[in-house]
Order: sequence, then structure tokens, then C-alpha cells
Amino acid sequence: MRSKKKRATWVSPWGYTEGWLFALGLLITGLALQLATGGLESNTLAWPINLFIGLGFTGLIAGSWIFLRKNSLVSWLARVPAAISSIALVTFLVLLMGFTLQEDAQNPVWVQKLGLSNMTSSWPFLLGMAFFMASLGMATMKRLTPFKGRNIGFILNHAGLYILVLGGLLGSADLQRYTMELHEGEIVWYAGNEKGQQIEMPIALELQSFNMEEFNPKLAVIEPNSGRIVEETIPEMFEVDTGNRSNIYGYDVEIIRFMEMSGKVQERYEPTNSFGSAPSALVKVTSEDGTTTEGWISSGSFMMPHSLLDLDHKYGYALAMTIPQSSHYSSDVVIYTASGQEREARIEVNHPVKVEGWKLYQYSYDERFGRWSPSSVIEVIRDPWLPVVYTGIFMVMFGSVYLMTLGKAPKKENGEKL
Amino acid sequence: MMPFDPTWFTVSSILLWVLAMLFFVFSKRSKLIAFTSHTLFLSGIAVLSLFAVLLWQELGRAPLRTLGETRLWYALFLSLIGYATYLRWNYRWVFYYSGMMAVLFLGINLASPENYDKTLMPALQSVWFVPHVIVYIFAYAILAVSALVAIKGLFTEYFRKDEDWSTQLADNMVYLGLGFLTLGLLFGALWGKEAWGHYWTWDPKETWAFLTWIGYMGYIHFRYHKPAKVVPAMWILALAFVVLLICWFGVNYLPSAANSVHSYTS
Repeated sequence: MRSKKKRATWVSPWGYTEGWLFALGLLITGLALQLATGGLESNTLAWPINLFIGLGFTGLIAGSWIFLRKNSLVSWLARVPAAISSIALVTFLVLLMGFTLQEDAQNPVWVQKLGLSNMTSSWPFLLGMAFFMASLGMATMKRLTPFKGRNIGFILNHAGLYILVLGGLLGSADLQRYTMELHEGEIVWYAGNEKGQQIEMPIALELQSFNMEEFNPKLAVIEPNSGRIVEETIPEMFEVDTGNRSNIYGYDVEIIRFMEMSGKVQERYEPTNSFGSAPSALVKVTSEDGTTTEGWISSGSFMMPHSLLDLDHKYGYALAMTIPQSSHYSSDVVIYTASGQEREARIEVNHPVKVEGWKLYQYSYDERFGRWSPSSVIEVIRDPWLPVVYTGIFMVMFGSVYLMTLGKAPKKENGEKL
Repeated sequence: MMPFDPTWFTVSSILLWVLAMLFFVFSKRSKLIAFTSHTLFLSGIAVLSLFAVLLWQELGRAPLRTLGETRLWYALFLSLIGYATYLRWNYRWVFYYSGMMAVLFLGINLASPENYDKTLMPALQSVWFVPHVIVYIFAYAILAVSALVAIKGLFTEYFRKDEDWSTQLADNMVYLGLGFLTLGLLFGALWGKEAWGHYWTWDPKETWAFLTWIGYMGYIHFRYHKPAKVVPAMWILALAFVVLLICWFGVNYLPSAANSVHSYTS
């Protein structure tokens, strides 16, 4: 145990008291700046300003460690009390963010004024992150000079996190993220940003076809007026497929025939793959007293109404087919570049396509039409700082493996006492 | 329509584990009792593993989508980690607590039976799906043990001052758990880039995952700097686990999560 001699505040070496005061000061300054200026615009730091800021900040940290390490502030930033107080400040701000719906105009005015509903572009957050990064950077410098092999795990974690966060913060100003709405047969070379402005793109896209595959729908018991699924039957719901048979809500239900795409012809359904067709099934229902009924159910589509099969006259419940969920969807497109190249590609969820520094993502489609959607929305993203961030990510990944090995072997006598 | 009944597996595992813990109480009396206890406990793990494998095959996708499915893996990992911790370090209470937590989580699944279905939304169909979730659940299970050490430590500190106890198990579990937590977070970032176009969007689940992660970071730094100050450290550890639980279950109920991309259970 160290002696508990009282140390005056702001006398070297600084400790936790200075840390809390420092964090509080930054918080108050940040809130004041926020009230005065109304927050930050994310693209004011666009290239090359962000590069200069990143180099300047890192240079400042490295320089002050090399030349001014005796300074109270510099030596304090490299030690744990600064790390913990900056972690606490960032945690506090992110905690506020965790309880506040972000980017929402419904928040009370004071919440918006203090920047709590746009936390990541607020002054308190910026100052908190600057403190965090200064502490992280200084701690890295401390272990980096002189370099020792046994510090490699520490350096991977700390330098990796520094690179990752710096790249992410500064890179966000250069992140371009737009959507392109494509309609079959049209060539589109404009994209829209989140404010609804149109931006001319260096690439053009033409939608050839939008494709969707669906999971089979499920059999459910519903309350027809509200369309709600009867709660206690949820665990009994089962997949609709020819030959499937199970008990639901006390009835024995057999699927005699399932059609993925069909159309209604008088009282029956017949297979068809015309625009707007819907899944349907012929089912045989046997109640507990042995009476049997047969009938058609269908989840319907934007063109066809759904079909139910009445079950229970006491509550008015009916047998229904749920709306099938998509299993895959993708867009077949032709990509034209400014340099005159032309190629075909399939853009699918989780499988973006790379073109000249841009990544193209399957973003959405016209949900009213489901698999028959005539349009598809492609998100186009350019993030030139990604290699920086990924460098940090992979360093921290290796660092976290090192972290796992830090556990110590137990002392024998502890065995049962803990 | 499943060819096997999930309830049967869940109930069997619960019974086997409860019996194992009962035998374990008397396991010091004879080798036979100890052996029976171990056999029962491992059988519980085996039955649940078999269920996980069968479920995976039956659904044709990794059963890691719904909260109920993650509870299944949690119970499995927790019992495994608890058993391994006991074997390695001989902490008898860890055996009980992890067993009871595993039983509790299976009990929740028993009380709210799920409709296991095959659907898996396209965004989840990725090579990252299994590593991301498994690594996370594994981290959660390890960190649960560290939270137990913290609670036991705080209890001892406030009510049984004379008893001797150590935080070493907590430290070991946090190093291991935070390592996995970090990997899970970064796998999620890499996946996010492929699926949603960005590695980090401050989605509510991400915000709370960050809070969980930084909470354990705070613990490690505090322990490193002030190893003698055990009580505040144990408080950090207990609170970090509360944040973890909010991240895992609570986020779905927070108004701030109205637009989360991480809700797949509806």
C-alpha cells in the first residue's frame, strides 16, 4: 500500500482529481460551444483538412512526448488516471446517447440544443474523443520509446485502437454515401444524398432485373378482423409445403398442395407466373370430433386479396397463410463507368460490387410489390479512409488474442477460499 | 413440424444439471458420488450439444438468430466454461453458479417456447454470422463468471469481512472475455461493411456494445493501476455486466432503439 499523504491538486504528478476536473472542464466547454454554435458540420473537415488535423494531432502528441515528457500534462496523459478519466467521460457521453433516440426531431428542444440527439457531431463528444485520443496516443508513445519486444501486445492494442478511431473520426468527413433508385431499362447516373439533393456520379447503372427468392410461408391461426396471429398458436405454426401435416390450435391440418405462384380462378387456385401472382395452398382440416373440411388459403399479393379458411365459429378464428419472407434478393445491373467501360454484375445483400473506388450495395426495393418490384435501390459508398481503419482493426484483432493470454495461473492456496 | 421435440432436450438438460449439482453437494464423501455428479453434468452438456446440432441441421441455418436461440448457446457455453473453470482452478462455487445460470436460461426458453423457423433474413446470410455471434455469446458467458466473482466479492466485503477472497479469477475471466468481446465487435464491424455499407453506424446495439466493451476496458485499466482497491473494481465489473445485459436483451425495449437494424426477432 502506498502512503496516503494528501497531495495538493494541480501539483505534479497529476492523478485522478485532475482527471475528473479536466473531464468536467471539457464537458462544460463542450456544452457551451454547442449552445453557442449549434454543433458541427461533418463535412467541414473534408479532405485534405482531415489529413492535416490527423497528422498535426499525432505530431503534437509524438513531439510533446519526445521533448516535453517532464511536463505535468504530458506525463499525466500517458498514465492510467488520464486513461480512466477520459474513458469515463466518453462512457458518460455514449451512455446519454444510448438512452436518446438519435437524429430525431421528436426530442425535446433542450435535448437537441445540448447536442444529445446528434451526439457524434456535437462539441462535447469531439472534446471527449480528443481527450481520449490524447491519452491513448501518449500512452502508446510511452511504450513505443524505447521499443521493446515484450510491449508488442500493448502496442498492437493501443496503437491499433488509435489508428482505428482516428481513421474513423477523420474519415467520416470524406465518407460519401448515396442511393440510386433504378427502374428496369433506365440508365441512371445520378444519386441522391440523405438531404434529397441529386449528385452526378462517375458511374451509371442500368437495372436489367430485380430478383427475389422467398421462404415458404407458414400456416397460422388468425383473428380475421384484426389480422393478428392467435398468440397461443405461435409455437405451433409450421411451414406450408406439399405433404406437410401437423396439429395447430387442436386441428389436424394437412397441406395437400402448395403453389409458390398461383392465381385465383373462381373458387380455386391455378399455377401461373404472371405479374402479381401469389402463393396458395389447398389444405385439409380435421377437427377433434373428426369432421373434415377442405379449402384454399393464400397470403395474397398486391394484386390479389388473401384467402382464409374459417375454423372456429366460437371465436371466429381462421386458418391463414403468412406473407412469405424473402430469402434472397438481388439486382442484375449493367455498370457504365466514366472511362467508357461497361460490365454486367449482380448486386446482392451481403455481396457488394466494387467499381472504381465505389462499393455498390443492394439497399432496398419497392416493398409494396414484393418479388414483383419494378424498381431497386442501390446504395453507393466511397470511403477512402477504409484502409486506415482496417489497419487499426487488424492490429486490435491480434492485440485481443494477446489479451486472452494475460490471465495468470492461480496460487495454490486460493483454491477453495474464494 | 420438427421431427424432434425441443422441450424434451431442454427438460433433459435441466434435470441432468440439477441432479449433477445435488450430487456435487456430497461429492466430497465418496469418489462414486463425485463421478456420478461429473457424469450427469457432462451428459447435460452432451444432450444440449446434440440438440444444437440437430436444430442446426433441421433449420438449415445456424440457430443464432433469435434471443431464444442465443440463450440456448449461452446455457451451453456457460456450463462448459463453468465446468472447465472448476477443473482448472477448483472453484466449487463456479460449478454451482454456472450450472444454475445455465438452468435459468434454459428455463426461460422452456417458459416461452419458440417457433423455430428456417427463415433467415438476407442481411444475416453471411460468412460472418456464425463467428460474430458465437464469439459474442462465448464472451458473454465468460464475463458472466467474472460478474459472479464480483457479486460474491462485494457480498463478502460487506457482510463477511473476515473471509478471505481473491479477484484473480475475475481478472483472468475479464482478460479472456474482453479478448473475445473485442473479436466479436470487430467481426461485426467487418460484416457491417459488407452488409450495410459501413463498419460502424452508432446503431443502438452498437452503442451499447461499445459501452459494454469500454466498461471492461475501464476495469482492466483500474485493476492495473490500483490493484489494492478491490471494492471499486468489483463495482465496475458488476455494472459492466448490467450494461452487457442491456446490450443483449434490454436494447430491444429502449425507446432509443426504435430504428435499430439489429432486431431480428419480430
